[in-house]
Amino acid sequence: MDINLTPILTSWPFLLKALGMTIFVSVMSTALGFVIGTLVGALRTYGGRMTNVVLGFYVDSMRAIPLLVILVWTFFAFPLLIGASINAVTAGIAGLGLHLGAYVSETIRAGLTSVRRNQMQAGLALGMSRFQAIRTIILPQAIIRMLPALGSLFVIAIKDSAIASVIAVPELLRQTQIVAGKTFRPFELYTAAMLAYFILCYPVARGVDRLYRRLSHLGSS
Amino acid sequence: MTFDWNIVWSSLPRLLDGAWMTIWLSVVTMLLAIPGGLALALLRLSGIKPLAMAATAFVEFFRATPLILQIYWVYYVLPAYFDIQLSQIATAIVGLACNISAFNSETFRSGIVSIRQGQWNAGLALGMSRFSVFCRIVAPQALMRVLPALASTWVSLFKDTSLVSIIAVSELSYVALQIRAETYRILEVLTAMAALYWLMGYPQAKLVDWIHHRFKVAE
Amino acid sequence: MTAAPILVFENVVKRYGALTALAGVSLTLHRGEVVCLIGPSGSGKSTLLRCANALDPLDQGRISFDGHEVRSSETSVRLVRQRMGMVFQNFELFPHLTVLRNVTIGPTTVLKLGQAEADARARKLLAKVGLADKETSHPSALSGGQQQRVAIARALAMEPALMLFDEPTSALDPETIGEVLSVMKTLADEGMTMLVVTHEMDFARRVANRVAVFDKGRVIEEGTPQEIFTAPKVPRTRDFLSHLGWHGESK
Ligand SMILES: Nc1ncnc2c1ncn2[C@@H]1O[C@H](COP(=O)(O)OP(=O)(O)OP(=O)(O)O)[C@@H](O)[C@H]1O
Ligand SMILES: [Mg+2]
Repeated sequence: MDINLTPILTSWPFLLKALGMTIFVSVMSTALGFVIGTLVGALRTYGGRMTNVVLGFYVDSMRAIPLLVILVWTFFAFPLLIGASINAVTAGIAGLGLHLGAYVSETIRAGLTSVRRNQMQAGLALGMSRFQAIRTIILPQAIIRMLPALGSLFVIAIKDSAIASVIAVPELLRQTQIVAGKTFRPFELYTAAMLAYFILCYPVARGVDRLYRRLSHLGSS
Repeated sequence: MTFDWNIVWSSLPRLLDGAWMTIWLSVVTMLLAIPGGLALALLRLSGIKPLAMAATAFVEFFRATPLILQIYWVYYVLPAYFDIQLSQIATAIVGLACNISAFNSETFRSGIVSIRQGQWNAGLALGMSRFSVFCRIVAPQALMRVLPALASTWVSLFKDTSLVSIIAVSELSYVALQIRAETYRILEVLTAMAALYWLMGYPQAKLVDWIHHRFKVAE
Repeated sequence: MTAAPILVFENVVKRYGALTALAGVSLTLHRGEVVCLIGPSGSGKSTLLRCANALDPLDQGRISFDGHEVRSSETSVRLVRQRMGMVFQNFELFPHLTVLRNVTIGPTTVLKLGQAEADARARKLLAKVGLADKETSHPSALSGGQQQRVAIARALAMEPALMLFDEPTSALDPETIGEVLSVMKTLADEGMTMLVVTHEMDFARRVANRVAVFDKGRVIEEGTPQEIFTAPKVPRTRDFLSHLGWHGESK
C-alpha cells in the first residue's frame, strides 16, 4: 500500500477554506439552534398548555426526521413551495439550526425543571416578575447544569455540518470529495479530513468538560 | 406551480421497500452494536492497560468524527487499500455498527460505573466472585439506567441510516432521491419521504420519552 | 399594643387537593412587633408565610398588608412582595451569583437601582450581618450560617416594611445557629416587624412580643411568651412544648 500526500500538499489552501466553512456553518447553526432551543424550552416549561402542545409537535418532529431529509427538503423542495431559491449555505444553516434547536430545547427544559421550585419563590419573594426570575435566576443555573449536554450538542453540530455536503455546501467533506475525485487518492484525503474533524471536535468536548468542572458549583442550589 | 401527488401513490411500493430496508438496517446494526458496545465498555474497565487504551481510542475516534465521513472512509478505503471487498450493504452495516458500538460503550460504561462501589463490596462480602457480582448485582441495576440512553441511541440510529444513501444502499432516502431524479416531482417526492420518516420516527420519539419517564433514576 | 396593624390574616383557608393546610387562620401583626409561630411539623406554618406574600393563592378569607388586600393579581402582588422580605429554611441563595450580586439583584432588577447605589447598599448590609469580607465569594464557599446571613441581607436590601422568616435556623449546624439568631435579634431591637416560624423556643421567649401556636392548620393559642411558655392554657400546646423538652420553667 502506497501513500501519496501530494494531493493534500497541493490542495491545502482549498481544503483550509473548506474547513473555515465547516466552522462557520457549525457556529452559525449552533447559534441559531441555541436561540430557538432556549425560547422553545422556556416557552414549553412556563407557557400555557397549547404552547406546549404546538412546540412539542415541532420538537418531536425534528427528533423523528433525519437531518439529511430536513436538509434535502429545505434546499430542494422548500424553494418550490415559496417560489424563490435559497443558497445552499443558508439552507444548510437553517436546516441544521432547526434540527439542533429541538435537541437544545429538550436540554434546556430538563435544566429548567431541575432547578428547585424554591429558587423561583426566592426570586418572586424579592418582587421579581416570573420573567425576571426565569431570566436572572433559573435560566443561568439551568445552563450551567446543562453545560456538558449543551457542549456535546455543539460537537454534534460540527459533525452534522458534514451532512450539509449532500446539498453541496462547500464545507470540508464536500471539498474533500471533490479533491478525492480529481486525484483518485480517497484514502489520504478522507483520512486527512477525518483527522481534521477529530482535531476540531475532541478538544471542544474536553474543553466543555473542564469548564463544567470549574463552574458546576455555580449551578447547584 | 402545480403539484402532482399521484406520483407519490404510484411510487409508494418502492418507497415502502425503502422504508423496510431502513428498519432492517437499524435492527441489524443495533443487534451488532449492543454486544460491540458492551465488549468495548468491558475492555475499557478491564484494567488491562493496552486493551483499555485501544478501546478508548476506538470509542473517542468514532464519537468525535462525522458518521457520514466514516461511511465514505469504510467505502473507499477498505477495498482500495486493504483489499477487503464488501457489498454496499455490508459496508453500511460495518460503518453504522462501529459508530453505534462506540456510543453504546459509553452508555454501558457510565451505567456500570454509576453503581456505587458499596454494591460491589456488599456482593464480594457475601463471598461472591467478581463475575457473579457483576452479573447478578451490578448488571441488573445498570440495565435500568442504560435503557433510556439505548432507546435514544436507537432513534438516532434509525435516522442515521439515511446517511448510507450516499453509498447507494437502497433505504428510504436513497429510493426517494432516485424517484425524484427519475420524475422531477421534487416537492412531492421529498415531502412523501419526510412524511414516511415522520410516521415511523414520531412514535419512536414518544416511546423514548415514555422509557425515560418510566426508568428515571431516583437519586 | 397601640401601633397600627400592618399584616392581617382573616379566616384564611388554604387547601392542597383534599388536604386542608390552613383551616381558617386569623392573626394580626402590628408595626414593630415580633410574632413567633410555633407548632408541630406539617401544621401549616410555612403555608401561612407563603400565603402572606401570595406565593400561594388563598382559597378563602383575606390577607391585608398595610391596609391593602393581598391579591394574586400580578402587579399588586409584586408591590407587596417588594415590601415584605422573606427568609427561607434552605437559604435559597442564587448559586451562580457572588454574595454581593445576591444582595444587589433585587434592588437592580426590581427597584431599578443603579449598580453603584445597589452595591453601596449591599455592602452596608453585608457589614451589618458581619460578612463584609465575603462579598466576592460564591454561596457554595460559605457555611450555612453565613449563607443564611447573606439571605437576610438580600431580603433587607429591598428595605422591607416586614420580614417573614421560615425556620431560618433549622437547616443549620448547632454552632452557626447563634450567629443567625443574633442578627435577627438586632433587627428586632431596631424595630423591624417580623413574623418568625421557629423551633428555637429560647429565641421566641426572649425576642417575641407574641407567640402563636399552630396545630392542624389553626392557631390554637396566642399570647405573650410569658403566657405561652409558663402557663399554656391549651393541652395541645403543653404536649408540644414538653415534646421539645420545654417544661415551662424560665431561667
Ligand atoms: N405545594 C404543596 N402541595 C401539596 N401539599 C403541600 C404543599 N405545601 C405544603 N403541603 C402540605 O400542607 C401541610 C402543611 O405544610 P407546611 O409546610 O405549611 O407545614 P409546616 O408547619 O411548615 O411544617 P414544617 O415544620 O415541617 O415545615 C403539610 O401536610 C404539607 O404536606
Ligand atoms: Mg415549614
